Amino acid sequence: MLLSEIAQVIRSKNAGPRRLTLDVMFASDADYQRVVQSPALSREAIGLLYRIAPEHVAVIPYPLGRAIKITLPRDTAGDPGDRDVYGAQQHAPLLRIEI
Amino acid sequence: MSASQRILDDVRRTPRPMRFLGASGQLGYGIPTPAFNAGLARQPDLIGCDMGSIDIGPTYLGKGEMATSPVATRRDLRKVLMGARQADVPLVIGSAGSAGAAPHLDATLAMIRDIARTEGLHFRMAVIRADMPRALLKQAVRDGRMTGMDGMAPLTEQDIDEAAHIVGQMGMGPFRRALAEGVDVIIAGRACDTAIFASLPTMLDFPPGICGHMAKIIECASLCCVPGGRDSILATLDADGFELESMNPVRRATPTSVAAHSLYEQADPYSVTEPEGSVDLRDAHYTALDDRRTRASGARWMPSSTPTIKLEGAACVGERAVLLAGAADPRFIARHAEILPAVAEVVRELVCEDQPQDYTLRFRVYGVDGVRGFAPDGEPTPGEAFIMGECIAPTRERAAEVVRTTKQYLLHHGYPGRQSTAGNLAFPFTPPEVSLGPAYRFSVYHLMRVPDADALFPLEIETL
Repeated sequence: MLLSEIAQVIRSKNAGPRRLTLDVMFASDADYQRVVQSPALSREAIGLLYRIAPEHVAVIPYPLGRAIKITLPRDTAGDPGDRDVYGAQQHAPLLRIEI
Repeated sequence: MSASQRILDDVRRTPRPMRFLGASGQLGYGIPTPAFNAGLARQPDLIGCDMGSIDIGPTYLGKGEMATSPVATRRDLRKVLMGARQADVPLVIGSAGSAGAAPHLDATLAMIRDIARTEGLHFRMAVIRADMPRALLKQAVRDGRMTGMDGMAPLTEQDIDEAAHIVGQMGMGPFRRALAEGVDVIIAGRACDTAIFASLPTMLDFPPGICGHMAKIIECASLCCVPGGRDSILATLDADGFELESMNPVRRATPTSVAAHSLYEQADPYSVTEPEGSVDLRDAHYTALDDRRTRASGARWMPSSTPTIKLEGAACVGERAVLLAGAADPRFIARHAEILPAVAEVVRELVCEDQPQDYTLRFRVYGVDGVRGFAPDGEPTPGEAFIMGECIAPTRERAAEVVRTTKQYLLHHGYPGRQSTAGNLAFPFTPPEVSLGPAYRFSVYHLMRVPDADALFPLEIETL
């Protein structure tokens, strides 16, 4: 099953101009548990998806919000050549993760 | 008596829960009147609005311009100013004019003075500037007191000279000094959004962790609700926690929606870093009071051992011009990765001749990889694509020359198998080239250790 079929919210945004933060949020504890226990959202898997070394990827489970947070480095927002100043469309690669 | 003095005296005399109205998380984009008025009817002790952010990119800071339209900004300022003066409670606005440097603050103040004159309002206003003196910054560079945020390169004295504007994010101290002076309105330059709301209750011995947690949520108005939105939100604070209620009855603050708000635009949902310390949310908990009100408690304050100020600065990198064009020929789209560099080379030869290249020319191909920067393997070629060419050059004329030349040679570029020999591009309008003015980048995003952070933010008092 695709992550986009399980999660209620899959979003991205800058956390300051040098970091991108991705939130995957679930409607039920069961959905959250299913994904948080799967290796599909490991640092290695996310690193591969975003072409970033796994040591620069942080994956933070946040059970209170039934959410998983992923934080990645990004090129400085607004620099010449930037493609997403707010970082609000960088969640797209997550949508097709197979759980 | 000023509004801040009245509230401080009142709560000191008779300790009681306090009410904070988060009127707007982005002043200048519209404040829904019904929810704002509903908030006023609840007799808040302070009305706060955040007006800026670093998220909007470097150009507003660099150019000294607001991101919001003057008409909408003035309308929102009038609404909150009239409301606060009518209720006689402090109005606190942080990060004035989108980026909080001198031109942003001055433009905001000009609107406030004009509204006061037009409406016949009289009040005492604190103005807190956030522009950092260059000599002081250079001294900090020489002393090794600067640290790049999130991997920014070390700051140099040249970076400081070249930045158009450099602001520091003020914490609670400068706001507290203004509130203690006895004022009705505070207009601050670049400021931590939490300081807007946390400064007053921490003067009255409410726990700073709880105050910081509350402030972090209500500075975004009703965004912590389901459905989230920009309506005003009311927080009622006591010694152990705070209760949240959106002033729009359709928006519900639930334990999950409020907890989830800690994720928003934050790298770490368990910690909120401020100049004076950080809010530790690891033991925060959320309880439903009813189906649209939630109580939060458990946040702890971890004071920082060394005061630091976060600096933001933007430097001009040249003049920007863009080319806007579409394509619907599958052969052209399939070959774009070889066509675009080939055209760039033709353009370079024409506009540079034997001189070195003095500009950058980049293409983004929307429909393929314009947003993501790369297309995953196996993704099919789209039926249409949008091509944006972007030139940054030393002058406006040079940038225009490059994109106009690019337009012509991309339109007529021949490639193997080409069938559409009359033109490769669809222009939605002409001219398809647009000059966008100066382009900026964030050249300063650093932490500066300082002995006295509050002293960097001078306070002026103005009586209107």
